[in-house]
Amino acid sequence: MFRLLARQAKKNPGLIPQFFFISLGLGGASLYLVRLAVSPYVVWNKKNNPEPWSKLDPSYQYKFVAVTTDYKNLKKDGPDY
Amino acid sequence: MSDAIEEKIKNYRTAPFDARFPNTNQTRNCFQNYLDFHRCNNALSAKGQDVSPCQWYQRVYKSLCPMSWVGKWDDQVADGSFPGRV
Repeated sequence: MFRLLARQAKKNPGLIPQFFFISLGLGGASLYLVRLAVSPYVVWNKKNNPEPWSKLDPSYQYKFVAVTTDYKNLKKDGPDY
Repeated sequence: MSDAIEEKIKNYRTAPFDARFPNTNQTRNCFQNYLDFHRCNNALSAKGQDVSPCQWYQRVYKSLCPMSWVGKWDDQVADGSFPGRV
């Protein structure tokens, strides 16, 4: 299929930006879906791993940009049991 | 260890930032602290230790959770019909 695309792009060079942006969009969307799926907030296996967020380090950063929060100095709050 | 917790409980103002729940929706934070409070009570009383450090979790969930939820869950725990694992 990629050979077909390459042949068509050589015939109509205006298709190249179109392929580029389509692949950028689809690739970005699927990468973000993968990020959501492997995030610690989704429970895939209720029996073996029912609360994956409890296994996180207290300085774990999920967001991309940390504006005011100083993530390095966070510690666990409650008592251990 | 328990002196540090007593200090923290004495100086408690509100629920601190929890990196496990960074977004606006704090539902899970509320429920997790409620569960942690009951689990802490059960674990420490099973070991025969003092359960007062668990007060931390109670202060946090009382800060975060709506009172109606807390009332409903407390009734369910008393009935034995609470759906969470405590």
